[in-house]
Amino acid sequence: MKGYGQLTIAQLRIFGRNRQVLFWTLFFPIFLMIMIGSFIGGGNNVSLQGVIIDMDQSNESQIFVDGLISNQTSMDAPVSVQFELIEDEVKAKELLKQGDIQLIAIVPEGYSEEVNAEGGASNIILYYDETDQLRSTIGIGLVEGVVDNISKEMAGYKPIITVQQEGLQSINLTYIDFLVPGIVAMMIMSNNLNGVAGQISSWRERGVLRRMQSTTLKASTFIAAQITARLLLNGLQALIVLLVGSLVFGTQVNGSWFLLILFVILGTLTFMSIGFIIASIAKTPESAGPIAGFISFPLLFLGGVFFPIDDMPSYLQPIVNSLPIAHLSTAFRQIMNVGADLTTLWSEALLLSGWMIVAFVIASFTFKWD
Amino acid sequence: MSEGKFEESVISVEGLYKKYGQFIAVNKINFEVKQGEVFGLLGPNGAGKTTTMEMIEGLRKPDGGKALVAGFDTQKQLNKVKEVIGVQLQSTSLFDLLKVKEIAQMYASFYPNPLAIEPLLESVNLQEKMNDRVKNLSGGQKQRLAIALALVNDPKVIFLDEPTTGLDPQARRTLWDIILRLKQQGKTIILSTHYMDEAHILCDRICLVDQGNIIALNSPQELIKSLDSESAIEFNLSNTDVLKENDRKALIQEFKMMNAVKQVDVHNDTYILYTNQLQHTLTDLIQQADEKKINLADLQTRTATLEDVFIHMTGRSLREE
Repeated sequence: MKGYGQLTIAQLRIFGRNRQVLFWTLFFPIFLMIMIGSFIGGGNNVSLQGVIIDMDQSNESQIFVDGLISNQTSMDAPVSVQFELIEDEVKAKELLKQGDIQLIAIVPEGYSEEVNAEGGASNIILYYDETDQLRSTIGIGLVEGVVDNISKEMAGYKPIITVQQEGLQSINLTYIDFLVPGIVAMMIMSNNLNGVAGQISSWRERGVLRRMQSTTLKASTFIAAQITARLLLNGLQALIVLLVGSLVFGTQVNGSWFLLILFVILGTLTFMSIGFIIASIAKTPESAGPIAGFISFPLLFLGGVFFPIDDMPSYLQPIVNSLPIAHLSTAFRQIMNVGADLTTLWSEALLLSGWMIVAFVIASFTFKWD
Repeated sequence: MSEGKFEESVISVEGLYKKYGQFIAVNKINFEVKQGEVFGLLGPNGAGKTTTMEMIEGLRKPDGGKALVAGFDTQKQLNKVKEVIGVQLQSTSLFDLLKVKEIAQMYASFYPNPLAIEPLLESVNLQEKMNDRVKNLSGGQKQRLAIALALVNDPKVIFLDEPTTGLDPQARRTLWDIILRLKQQGKTIILSTHYMDEAHILCDRICLVDQGNIIALNSPQELIKSLDSESAIEFNLSNTDVLKENDRKALIQEFKMMNAVKQVDVHNDTYILYTNQLQHTLTDLIQQADEKKINLADLQTRTATLEDVFIHMTGRSLREE
């Protein structure tokens, strides 16, 4: 018992004094989150900039201009729209070619006369950037909408049927809400898999373990102390990443923190056991890295960390669905995003526990002091 | 050293055998270590010293034979053995980031009744380094820490595997003092080394090992006495390039016939004549060299050492060039 406490403290001291490892294992997930998070954008916002050239300068044309400028958002997509009134058509086309604006709407001369004439009709001329499909489509739709409204008003048209829109998905999720639980799962996997495999195999090669083997210390005490120290460290790191996600990107934790921590523990134990197995297989610390990479890298891409599992080809689904990382990231997502509890997550908990028990049994049978 | 000073046997090794593939590392050796003695395993690198020690410590499984420590079988009652031994391994590597005091506390916690840490560290002259990290210790300090850790459970038997290899002369002497102090406290020590001066100074009995076999086992004094020669005369021949194998054998034969010469060994072109009457042999040698036009180079005389015992018995030096 004394040995267990001392070994745990010693391991925590080693963690604490190895500032570089501490920094990078924590910095990497946060950096990844900030990079991907700011890249994709918190809410998929697209900005659209356009100019209007009013060549008619009449009351009628003013209605159109006002309509377009006041219509700053589109119904179809989360777009921030900004229209400006300018006079120089040549300059406007230059801006469009440079990509500074995406749309030019021109009200032609004689517009008011044409629309006021009996049975008359007119055109709004629209220039857009064909290379920017997304924003062109949104912009054209926007202008058409305004034109349509004005046309209907002028014709005195009253719609008989309208569509009433009501959102049903009440949780407003963005990609960062998907990403942060994945990153926490990834961090738990890589820290434990690589950390345990690297450290144990290096201690074995340097004879640190051999020296301990010649004392009355039991292997189980040593492993228990390792697990305890790593659980404390990992719990703390996961907490920091979750807090950064929540404070910087506003990621939500809708479910219980207790359940979240429970899955952090379950994940840590599972991947630590796998790490111990790798440490036993690896003959040198140099080979531990590649072996850990061989296991963790595919898991990273197949395990639903960065892409939803549903997006994977169907023949991969059965494999992907049995991976421990997939269940860890799914559980984190369910708890954080949806607020799920154990009644929905029991299958994840069960599968992870299965992985943990099998890995732990193999690890304890294959553990070697030298 | 009078016989019968050490009565009780603490370690007994019976037919211990270990092979790695085709290579026989330890070849069915037998010996006993008595309570309170410093027992030296002396031999060149690869002689099987470390393998022998690690089989007694229970760190390696022998392929045959057995070893008893304080009456406990190292294979069947390993935990009992571990309680009464302290081990310093040849390549001791410790946690670099821990402080001296912390690592001592950690090792102490592995045992039910450890010694107090501070007096222990003082006994190996590390009291001033107590709060330094292991990383910042010198080679000698690290080795002394390793010995302190081997003492933390107040063991009956201490295993020191080449404790002074790679240390400077000053650090070696400091370590010798510590080992001699432990001997005074009545500890039984098994020490492996390839330095014959170290074995001579520290050990009550020396076990000469070569290629997995024990080639001699006795006190340093008795081992040297077995050479039956007090002195050695060493020299090279400056005109040996032209010497054929037959001429060479004839020459050795002539050296053997010289006054009072007991033995002649040739090692790396160096001729060694062993004698009990240095003056007579030397006079004869110089006289005959003059007559036979033999050019003696690098001529020197000295007292016979353990190295000579080893060379005489194996034909090889303790330290391989």
